[in-house]
Amino acid sequence: MTLQEQIRSNRFRSVIVLGGFVLLLLVLAGLIGLVLDVSIGVAALVLAGVYALFAVVRSRSMVARMTGADEVPEGELRPLRRLVENASIAAGLPVTPEVRIVADSAPNAFAAGLRPERSYVGVTTGLLETMPKRELEAVLAHEVSHIRNRDTYLMTMAVVFAGVIALVADLGFRAIAYGGRSRKAGALVVVLAVVGFVLAPYAALLLRMSLSRRREYLADAGAAEILNDPEAMALALRRLELDPTTIRYADASTAHLWVESPTDRVDTERRGVLALSRWFNTHPPIPDRIAALEEAGGFRLPDRLPADEPFAAVMERG
Amino acid sequence: MAWLWITIAVVAVLAVVLVLGYNRLVRLRNETDTGWANIEVQLERRADLIPNLVEAVRGYAAHERGVFEEVTRARAALQGAGSPGAAAEANEGLTAALGRLFAVAEAYPDLKASENFLRLQDDLTDTEDKIAAARRYYNATVMRFNTTVQSFPWLLFSRPLGFREREFFSAGEDTEPPQVTFAAEARP
Repeated sequence: MTLQEQIRSNRFRSVIVLGGFVLLLLVLAGLIGLVLDVSIGVAALVLAGVYALFAVVRSRSMVARMTGADEVPEGELRPLRRLVENASIAAGLPVTPEVRIVADSAPNAFAAGLRPERSYVGVTTGLLETMPKRELEAVLAHEVSHIRNRDTYLMTMAVVFAGVIALVADLGFRAIAYGGRSRKAGALVVVLAVVGFVLAPYAALLLRMSLSRRREYLADAGAAEILNDPEAMALALRRLELDPTTIRYADASTAHLWVESPTDRVDTERRGVLALSRWFNTHPPIPDRIAALEEAGGFRLPDRLPADEPFAAVMERG
Repeated sequence: MAWLWITIAVVAVLAVVLVLGYNRLVRLRNETDTGWANIEVQLERRADLIPNLVEAVRGYAAHERGVFEEVTRARAALQGAGSPGAAAEANEGLTAALGRLFAVAEAYPDLKASENFLRLQDDLTDTEDKIAAARRYYNATVMRFNTTVQSFPWLLFSRPLGFREREFFSAGEDTEPPQVTFAAEARP
């Protein structure tokens, strides 16, 4: 698969997944309408819409708080800003995203924001202290392509949808449990509805996970395209993989945002015991991501990483 | 009666395909226009830095008139370039001329240590990086646009509707697709 084909097929998949969310929501509302009353089903849909709107509006500041990303004062870290500028020019973004710093020694980065014009890239201090320029550029390009591909938008929507589905399923479940049901509904329908309400949040979670894992491959491919250098992205991933530190702000609700999953390290130990846990990982395993880049770019990663100076040291010298 | 419906359906499907195809071509062409505008912004920025740079060096090495003239000529050629290919060529000419200017500067330690000169050099490097970035985006959009214009079925109506292949931003005759071969661009 060429990068273009990969991008196209990933776009297609994400449309399917978002469609799946909407379908799931409609099914839930339908079940409520069937078991209780049509008007209650419609009310549930309206409620879901209002809740979703509120969550979307609040998302930007929430993400900044949850990840601990601080704004950088004007005039500081100019070399880093320049790298982000260059990456967004090469990606064809109309506006360069803001840069924010997370004071954490674990190397990692993320992108957030609903619209490309109001997005930002968060970078940990650990990333600057670990990555040489070439690999840092690759990580930044990875985040920029998340913004370009509207992944940040899509992931925010996915989180919100998953929350809405959990809410509606919960409401439906409670309504039945407290005995409110219409006379027309048969026993089979009620049982079906209960099963639906219980399983819906898990279905939503699975949809969300499959979405974010696809997105990572796509952003890797995008970074390779932006820099015209797939090896840089692969090297950066290998360096992240070898790094033993895990981010302090690791939190399941923001896990999908980072370039390297901050929570998977815990999961890896479990994987042998419980193969199912793999389904719930937010990111594909790093070796798989490197392999995809090697195949698309037609190269083999060297056994040893280049011992280049980290970018933080380069910046210090000015 | 059945034939009528089949004809209507076929015409409707064709119309939809045509409209979608046309919109796609317009979108791709707009992308190349944006990409080209990005390059022009950076080329302009580079050209704007040159007079100050020449003045800075002249202050220390007034007698090196030949180099200054060469740089000024190369700058004028860049600003007068009419097409992406010509602009790329002129841009490389400017790079070569600047190389000689910096070689001259090497002989003057006071100049090399001056704050003004260092800042100009830094700005110039930054601009060159940005030209390279803008070039990657532009060439990728041209690649997508040209491929679409040249491929079936778009080639049937792209030319009559005025969609013509765009020129890559690359010097000389090398118009090979730059994004497909990954190792094409040397990296620092």
